[in-house]
Amino acid sequence: MAGARRVAVTGLGLVNPFGGDLADFFGRMLRGESAIRLFTREDTVTRPLAVPAVRCTNFDADAELGRSLSYTMDRYSQLGTTAALSAWRDAGLPRTRDAPRNDWGVSWGTALGGTLTFESGYIELLRNGRERVSPLSVVLGMSNAAASHISIQLGLGASSATYTVACASSAVAIGEVLSKIRSGEVTLMVVGGSEAPLSYGVVRAWEAMRILAGGDETSAVRACRPFSSDRQGLVLGEGAGAMILEDWDHAVRRGARIYAEFAGYGSTSDHDHLVRPNVDGQMRAMRMAIQDGGLTTDEIDYINAHGTATREGDPIEIAAIRGVFGSRSGAVAVSATKSMHGHMLGATGVIEAIITVMSLASQEAPPTAHLDEVDRDCTGVRHITGGSLRGSLRAALSNSFAFGGSNTVLAFRAAH
Amino acid sequence: MTNQDNLAVLSAFLHKTQKIDPALVTPEALLEDLKVDSLLLLELLFEFEDRLGVSIPQDIERPKTVGDLLGIVEKLQAGKGT
Repeated sequence: MAGARRVAVTGLGLVNPFGGDLADFFGRMLRGESAIRLFTREDTVTRPLAVPAVRCTNFDADAELGRSLSYTMDRYSQLGTTAALSAWRDAGLPRTRDAPRNDWGVSWGTALGGTLTFESGYIELLRNGRERVSPLSVVLGMSNAAASHISIQLGLGASSATYTVACASSAVAIGEVLSKIRSGEVTLMVVGGSEAPLSYGVVRAWEAMRILAGGDETSAVRACRPFSSDRQGLVLGEGAGAMILEDWDHAVRRGARIYAEFAGYGSTSDHDHLVRPNVDGQMRAMRMAIQDGGLTTDEIDYINAHGTATREGDPIEIAAIRGVFGSRSGAVAVSATKSMHGHMLGATGVIEAIITVMSLASQEAPPTAHLDEVDRDCTGVRHITGGSLRGSLRAALSNSFAFGGSNTVLAFRAAH
Repeated sequence: MTNQDNLAVLSAFLHKTQKIDPALVTPEALLEDLKVDSLLLLELLFEFEDRLGVSIPQDIERPKTVGDLLGIVEKLQAGKGT
């Protein structure tokens, strides 16, 4: 867009299952290290849970946020606010409330919001026979709680909006601010998403769809195998990620480190089926992001795929990539990092966007873990397997394709 | 429960939720100084209702001090005949 402002990524933060910082997390992604473990839960009503999942077991909300704040939050807000504060620090922004920040805001994503809060309320009412639930339930459970806490903690006076678009939630939250920064409506936005979906009811619901990968203590770590001939489904995870997006000139003026340029956004609907993905809808989203970013298919050197490891979804995404990139498809490096961090639903888009940005910043992209034999339905692209890919990475896409048929693609360009 | 017991419940609650030093929770202390905002007050009333089996009416005057709050609770306990 001629004359429009460019958008810089100047801060990254996350809460991840390995428990370390961003550099530690990305290093593990490059090495193909999986965070998936067997998750068991026995404090529930009937059968105990035992499924491969991703959990942030070292996360200590009281230590990160202080008890009086963490007490007023569902876990998804605790994870999200911690990630946002981490991105804020990473961007070198001060925690002062002196300067008016009415053109700085929050754009957040979550698929399920405070599902753990609602579940504990139901357990009190229906299992324990109590007549009432905590009066904090409303403000803990509401789906915009994380965004509101972030606005309050950082003193951000522009819009504080939450998008809930299933597995594309945080990708949409990121994408929707691009035009606002370009137009000058806002200068800086905290964007991202958080999810804490491991409630009894939610896990059972996903099990009932027959798309959760199985596994035991030993095999859980390899449970999620996108594009593999023996793939068996997805793995649910909890986590949060945040990015600081700002007007490029503003970032330069304050001497901020720029990880990458957030260049383009594509958003389409399959308008077809609730859960069956659609090649055309995904192709249109990728093309839209590339065009919106002033890029060409020749410049896209890496794609962080949606790649959930379902039988049906993976081949459709590869077909869409082949459709967009044509004869160049075999040169486009693709990996699905859900093989390591699982599917964090509303938070997964931002986690993968962070990995994509870090790949451009470090000129090294992570592999799809456990991809020993590419399924013949998933061939035709350059799958990164066995280890990371080093090389010249000029621009990259991060794909997020949600149940409901919402397709979201984010395009980033290397900063240097 | 006596007023002293109720004070102990309050201290324990504020320690659990806000890490407030129990020594600060005296009848004269202002609830505001103990980080009790409108939201936490709701939770606190809920805690007393739960523990004592009383129902605190919607239209109570908002207590300012620890003593005010304990007074409300005490009155309800008396009404309940405990």
